[in-house]
Amino acid sequence: MNAPGTASDVVPDRDAGLRWRRVHPVTPMVRGWAVVGGAIFIIGQQTLDGGPDDRGVVGLLTSPFWWTVPTGLLLIGLVGFGFALLAWRMTTYAVGEETVHLRRGVVFKQQRHARLDRLQAVDVRQPLVARLFGLSELKLEVAGGSDSGIAIGYLRDADANELRNELLARAAGLKSTVVAPALPGPDAVADAQAPQERHLAAPEAPAQPVLEVPMGRLIASLLRTSVTIFFVLFIAALVATVVVTGTPQIVFAVIAPFIGIGGYLFNRFSTEFAFRIAISADGIRLRHGLLETRAQTIPPGRVQAVAITQSLLWRSRDWWRVEVNVAGYGSDGGSGTTNVLLPVGTRDEALTVLSLVLPDLGSDNPRAVLDAGLTGDSRTAGPFTGSPRNAVWVDPVGWRRQGYAVTGRALLLRSGRLRRALAVVPHERTQSLGIAAGPVQRRLGVASFEVHSTPGPVSPAVHHLAAADAAELLEEQSARARTARAHAGPERWMEDPR
Amino acid sequence: MTSPFDPADVTWSRVSTRLTAARLIPATLTFAVPVLAGAVLAGTVSPWFWLLAGVAAAMLVWTAIVVPRQVRAIGYAEREDDLLIRKGILFRSLTVVPYGRMQYVDVEAGPLDRKLGLAKVQLHTASVGTDAQIPGLPPQEAARLRDRLASRGEARLAGL
Repeated sequence: MNAPGTASDVVPDRDAGLRWRRVHPVTPMVRGWAVVGGAIFIIGQQTLDGGPDDRGVVGLLTSPFWWTVPTGLLLIGLVGFGFALLAWRMTTYAVGEETVHLRRGVVFKQQRHARLDRLQAVDVRQPLVARLFGLSELKLEVAGGSDSGIAIGYLRDADANELRNELLARAAGLKSTVVAPALPGPDAVADAQAPQERHLAAPEAPAQPVLEVPMGRLIASLLRTSVTIFFVLFIAALVATVVVTGTPQIVFAVIAPFIGIGGYLFNRFSTEFAFRIAISADGIRLRHGLLETRAQTIPPGRVQAVAITQSLLWRSRDWWRVEVNVAGYGSDGGSGTTNVLLPVGTRDEALTVLSLVLPDLGSDNPRAVLDAGLTGDSRTAGPFTGSPRNAVWVDPVGWRRQGYAVTGRALLLRSGRLRRALAVVPHERTQSLGIAAGPVQRRLGVASFEVHSTPGPVSPAVHHLAAADAAELLEEQSARARTARAHAGPERWMEDPR
Repeated sequence: MTSPFDPADVTWSRVSTRLTAARLIPATLTFAVPVLAGAVLAGTVSPWFWLLAGVAAAMLVWTAIVVPRQVRAIGYAEREDDLLIRKGILFRSLTVVPYGRMQYVDVEAGPLDRKLGLAKVQLHTASVGTDAQIPGLPPQEAARLRDRLASRGEARLAGL
């Protein structure tokens, strides 16, 4: 779209005053290891798949040609490190008044500009190797679909934090004026101590710790997932098979799924390890990770939808998991580890975390509404409108849990009888709405309602509502979303609304 | 009982009936291959191949019955603040896209569409779940709709 009066042809060159910076010179060392590690991983996988016979890498290592393996690895390493060095030479970044710029690419050059007012989240990522060197990578997420973010790395830890604070301050609208307005609340005190340094290094907005997930509970919660149960049954079946048939070779045939499940569990343990949540003027701060640590900052108003879920075996402990849709995160690599706001917590903790996202639910008795959403069904009295009785024909198990409730600020959609789920969508974050009904549903007089949210683990929908309810919800929700959008806070969360 | 897919006081715009042709021509060509192949093979190799020709012919007839109805079921309505799109006979759906949520608009026309004077307008929001496409619009109408949506979207533009 080329709207009349676009500034780009008028302003001569906005990049002129930019100071281009290189990332830390140790970066190629860190990046290069990824190539070597990948090669070792592939070779290891091939060896395992091949079984313990004379062929494959094991056979090669015990043969007179054993030297080919280390030589090959050395060559791969040289190519990897060489390329990483070239890539480092070509990577520069700069921070402008309203944009962040990144230039990179050895063969195909790429220049990327991200607008800071469209910033959705800032992550500081520290993989294991980088941590040994005291380096971290800064990742900016903007809402441009998959792979639209900017990753600047690696930087020294202190530099990365400073850059993050600067970006957040600019995105908040603090830097656009020379004299920064006083920060609201408790931050004002911390801020007043260093007002002159503002233009050099933005101070980190002080964070108040909210809660921490104890390691014991994380382990216990993982043991109570369906995956673990499957894993244990799988091992039991395997042991039984080996004992009965007396052929231990069978273990090698099934080792791949075995590693897969174990890998999934370890991955969850590793990324959700030492999970800490804090709140600051810049939004929600998360810090977690065992091998790779990640410090996430999600500024206010960037969360598009929240889901609070409880798997079947968590029920006796009343544990809940909180996940969010943030436009830039997408469904990151399928694992969705960046979308987790609380890996496991009690009901109170989960609701506390929800209140960080949505401080005011717009209800007189928010706790009652949320409790009804988390555990209630159509038999409990409450603000939820559920499915009519004949929905049992299309959803025999879960029909009682299907339901929606509307508060002043958000739409709540509950579902799931075995795995309970409650989706919360702030009115102003509704993208579009839809209703749909198949032939059976229409015969029963029911229809499904869906809120379209940005990509992520939360897909807010409520199925098999009475047709009249669905139509009314569609009509009223679009009106509510419109009103809420008109009154939504500014994109730059510390700027005075104009 | 009123259907939830027919909100009150909404006047639906229909898409061009030429869309029927645009959908039937490729379907006919696709099904004609197994019909002809089945007939030829039935004459030369084995009469069992009539089964192939028969099934393909039945599917062709079914398509010819369903497609005109499907095309007539597609409707869109521009309201003050949002665009409504409905479609489907058996599996019905209705989508509400607020103008302020539109990220961009696509107008597409394939070779057959151009021959028949048709274009498809597709709206994109920040959600991939938004299935908002209006096929079978005359090119002028598609261009008008595109400009109108773009200008309305700009007037009501919000962040994410």
